[in-house]
Amino acid sequence: MIDFRNVKKFYSNGTVALDGVDLHVDDGEFVFIVGHSGAGKSTMMKLLLREEAASSGTITVGDYELTNIKNKDIPYYRRNLGVVFQDFRLFPNKTVYENVAFAMQVVGTPRAMIKRRVPAILTTVNLAEKMKCFPRELSGGEQQRVALARALANNPKMIIADEPTGNIDPKMSIEIMNLLMKINKLGKTVIVVTHEKNLVDYYKQRVVMLKEGRIIEDRVGGMFQ
Amino acid sequence: MKRRYSTRFFLEQAFKGLTRNGVMSVASIAVLMSCLIVLGIFSLLLLNINVNLDKIAELNEIMVYCEYELTEDQIVEVEEKIKSLDNVGKVKRITKAEALQTMIDESGEYADLYSDITPENNPLCDSFEIIYEDMDGTSVYNLESQLWEIEGVRKINTVYKIAKTIDSLKSGVMLVFIWFLVILFIVSIFVIINTIKLAVYSRKSEITVMRYVGATNGFITLPFLFEGVIIGGAASALAFACQSYIYIYIEKMAANEMQMITVLPYTEVWPLLVLGFLAIGILTGVIGSVASLNKYLKY
Ligand SMILES: Nc1ncnc2c1ncn2[C@@H]1O[C@H](COP(=O)(O)OP(=O)(O)OP(=O)(O)O)[C@@H](O)[C@H]1O
Ligand SMILES: [Mg+2]
Repeated sequence: MIDFRNVKKFYSNGTVALDGVDLHVDDGEFVFIVGHSGAGKSTMMKLLLREEAASSGTITVGDYELTNIKNKDIPYYRRNLGVVFQDFRLFPNKTVYENVAFAMQVVGTPRAMIKRRVPAILTTVNLAEKMKCFPRELSGGEQQRVALARALANNPKMIIADEPTGNIDPKMSIEIMNLLMKINKLGKTVIVVTHEKNLVDYYKQRVVMLKEGRIIEDRVGGMFQ
Repeated sequence: MKRRYSTRFFLEQAFKGLTRNGVMSVASIAVLMSCLIVLGIFSLLLLNINVNLDKIAELNEIMVYCEYELTEDQIVEVEEKIKSLDNVGKVKRITKAEALQTMIDESGEYADLYSDITPENNPLCDSFEIIYEDMDGTSVYNLESQLWEIEGVRKINTVYKIAKTIDSLKSGVMLVFIWFLVILFIVSIFVIINTIKLAVYSRKSEITVMRYVGATNGFITLPFLFEGVIIGGAASALAFACQSYIYIYIEKMAANEMQMITVLPYTEVWPLLVLGFLAIGILTGVIGSVASLNKYLKY
């Protein structure tokens, strides 16, 4: 469950990135966040990740109240989320397997469990046969699927994707979106920031439109315009 | 579910980091090693200078000359009285016969001049060489006045000025050296900070991803901490090897060619070196790595 209440975000240079956002997302929902460049979409994701703190208002995610979470609890909060970025952010000198395993090592998962789980996740994203490849040997779409696998590694309740298809060609984009839909069907909340009108229209999901830091539209069934 | 972090994982990460920035790692080991060697040379120099100064300072003595006509019993009584005073270290009696002999020995080719002096007409007197312990002015002054009160004392000769000079020289030398050490230490820390900064910078994106998947700050820090320890440990081992070589060489040279100088034996200084180098080396490494990570460890 995600709950934004009158959330404002001012950056230290005076930019008003979010100007009073109210948003409620239930567990298991699929939500597209759309809007022009500079509308505040990435800022919303940063607040969700607690990479930035809100300037005012309250943000609640599950049991966590992000507006007054203790610093030492932040890492543990983040383990409930899986993140995917436009630029993949894979480790170039680690194999596909190691990239996914690393996310599990970071949170102290026992070796035996890592060995069991990584192949299973890679199968979910249809990359089982590329386990030993390095990122440079993969297409953009495949790299993004590795990133998605990594996001899933610690079995988070929620996936946050900031323009996951921004750097890959349209055919591959559909593949990624299909995967995100599949992950949603498995019971995870999925939030996707995107610019791609045709995809948003095609999937007919809930769409939240931001403009100048405010939500100007929030409806189910697509329609970018 | 049981969470377990293996030391092996962190060590692997640390070694990977070190080899990835190979040139910088070698450079920082070299710089820290040089700092440690300079540090070591100065500390050992300081130690040895102090030992030698102490040797000179043993000239902290008061000569007490007895009245000429004292009998043997009376002289022994004077000696007992001197020994009973505070602040008296060693007391050495020099009989008038010994004094005469020393005078003859020191006069070399003019020894003939004393040839007609016999034990009976020896013009010298018995004396005592007193080495005092506490060198400050009042203690020495008190001792002097107590000595004057002893019956049979004719004359007192104090050389405490040398001791005082050496004492202030020692603290002066010490001060300069301590400042030097502090500066060297700071320089080393800056070098390490820069190395680890580079290592951290090259892994900035890695750290970002670690934070996103929920790594704690402790987890992110540990590999860099190990890196700092490895750099510090390697630098101190190398510095110790070089320093030992230099010291043993100097020790031999001093033994052969500069016998008036005392050089502390290597067997006495090496444990100091090992402990000092390891402590400073590893501390510098750790401080460096933690300081350079700080910026990236926001939440
Ligand atoms: N770290 C920052 N410091 C200062 N201003 C920032 C920072 N990050 C974003 N902004 C500003 O906040 C506003 C919203 O930015 P944000 O990145 O949320 O937009 P966006 O909707 O993600 O845009 P895009 O579609 O281009 O990614 C912009 O005006 C941007 O310049
Ligand atoms: Mg953005």
